[in-house]
Order: sequence, then C-alpha cells, then structure tokens
Amino acid sequence: MNTALFLMILLGFLYALLSGDAGEISGAIMQAGQTAAETMIKLMGGFMLFGGITRVLEEAGAVRSLVCLLRRPLRRVFGQEISDDALGAAALNLSANMLGMGNAATPMGLKAAALMNPGRAESAPFGLCMLLVINATSVQLFPTTVISLRYAAGSANPGAIIWPTLAASSVATVVGMAVCFLCERRAGG
Amino acid sequence: MIAWLLVITVTAGYLRRVNVFSALSDGAMEGMKTAATVLPCLASTLMALSVLSSSGLLDQLCRVLSPAMRLFGLPEGVMPLFLMRPLSGSASLATLSQIMSQYGPDSRTGLVACAMMGSGETVLYTCSLYLAAAGVKKSRYIIPASLAGWVAGCITAGLLFR
Repeated sequence: MNTALFLMILLGFLYALLSGDAGEISGAIMQAGQTAAETMIKLMGGFMLFGGITRVLEEAGAVRSLVCLLRRPLRRVFGQEISDDALGAAALNLSANMLGMGNAATPMGLKAAALMNPGRAESAPFGLCMLLVINATSVQLFPTTVISLRYAAGSANPGAIIWPTLAASSVATVVGMAVCFLCERRAGG
Repeated sequence: MIAWLLVITVTAGYLRRVNVFSALSDGAMEGMKTAATVLPCLASTLMALSVLSSSGLLDQLCRVLSPAMRLFGLPEGVMPLFLMRPLSGSASLATLSQIMSQYGPDSRTGLVACAMMGSGETVLYTCSLYLAAAGVKKSRYIIPASLAGWVAGCITAGLLFR
C-alpha cells in the first residue's frame, strides 16, 4: 500500500507536468482533505446505526445461534481432521463476520487459524486454506459500510445493493471454495 | 429494508430482555470510533486519488484497461476499485466514494462498484495476518483461489446490473 500510494502521487504529478495542467492538482489536493472529512461525518451516521444494531443482535445471542447453525456444515467443509476447538473458533469467526462484527471476528479467526495447524507445519493444511478463502471472499450478510457510503453519496435508495451484494459475494465464496477443493485434489489430498 | 432490519433487531432484543437502549448507544459509540479511525487513511488515499484523477492519468489508465474490464462485462469506471479492493480496505472505501461522486451512486457504474465492494475483502492483508498466526510459510493456493473468488464476484455484480 505504501508503494501504491507513492506511485499514485508521483505518476499523477509527472503526467500532469507532461500534459501541461499541473495547476489544477493543487486545488484538487486541498479539496480531497475536505472531502475526506465530509465523507467521514456522513459515514459516521451509518456506522453508528449499524454499530447499534450489531450490538443488540450480539446481546440477544445471535452469534451463539449462528454458531449452532454453522457447526454441522462447517465440519463437512473443513474436513474431519480438525479439532473441535478449531471448529468452534472458526464457527465463531464466520458468525461474527456474517453479522458485520469485523473487530470481534478477527481475534477468533486468528485463534482458529492457529488451532488448525497444531503441528506448526510449514505449508498450510486444507482446513486453514478453506478458512482463509472463505474469510477473503467476504461473508457479510449486510453490507453496512457500503450502505452508509451510498447514503453519504446522496443515493436515492442506499439499500438497493443488499441482495445483489449477497448474490455476488455468495458466488465469490462458492468459486473460491471450489478452486480450493480442486487444488487440494490435484495436490493429491 | 433498513427499517425492517432495525425493527426486527430491536423487537428480538427487547423480547430477549436486552437493554436495547444501552446496547444501541454502546454500538453507536463503537461505530463512531470506527469512523474516526478510518479518517486518516481516507484522507491520504483521497489525496493520492485526487492527484491521479485531476492529472488525467486515471482517465488514461481507464481507457487503456477498459477492454480488460469489458471482457468481464464490467463498466470501465470500476477499474480502480477492481485493483484496489484486494489491497486495502480503507483505500478501497475512498476509491468507492470517488467512483460514486464521479458517476453517481445510482448509476450502473456506481451500483456495480457497490456490489463489488461488498463481495470482496482485503485478500493480501487477511492472508498474511492469518498465516502468521498459524505459523505457516507456504500459502499454497490460498491467494489464487481468493482472487478467483473476487473476479467471480465482480463478474456476478456486472451481470446483476445490466
């Protein structure tokens, strides 16, 4: 990210110098800070709403119910060789992720990752690959950040992307898992 | 939809004897902190993006790379998000907000970009964090599989908004 940021600024500036309208950039840079602050204030409204909803769900025991629901199917996905502890941590991680609790999900995910590699093997075991791919293809049920940002951008219908996002992210997760299975089979697992 | 979500959540919470008022307020406090933590990164990325877009280089890049986007059935405006999403969460947030202010949140480009944003994650960061926790050095097929999922999600997003 460090290099990406540096290149964006340097290349943009050089391009402007060569094409001859470098004056415009200064104004745009000043504007950017202001835009960031305004976006943040508007985002905060959405974040506070969804933060509240998430907290109520959490205290009402939604995480625990989801964990119960997920245990069986997850056993099938991750394979038989992972321990019950690892399965529990993974179920908690994915449940928290689904409900949009990124902060709570990450520590559980890290714990699950460690438990899935008890022998501290050099190369990632199948269950760990699966856990990562599922995490990396986003399993959130409600895209709360995007809804907040759409509201901030003045959308007429900020919630319009809920179903499409769910569909797109399900396809992403299924394809990621399928590639995992195929690679594992080819590796002779 | 959002109203339903709030009503159902609050009712379920109330029936399960949750102190709904204090839970909502605590959660709001957390949301406020999150918003404040993303601001610095949002500002720096938006600054870099503004250099890139006001210099005209971003348009040029979009023009060069748009055939690749069209191959996936995606509008060319989502190209920056396509590249940024796997790299960084807050940077892609800034990119998405830039796309929406340029094309409008309810345009096809804006809608596709939103669905893309919600169907992906910061693949590289997540992987390095989790693998470090597990003490694994060889990531095997994790990154290719995750990126394949990302591309599939993007194509689906493009198909859903025609």
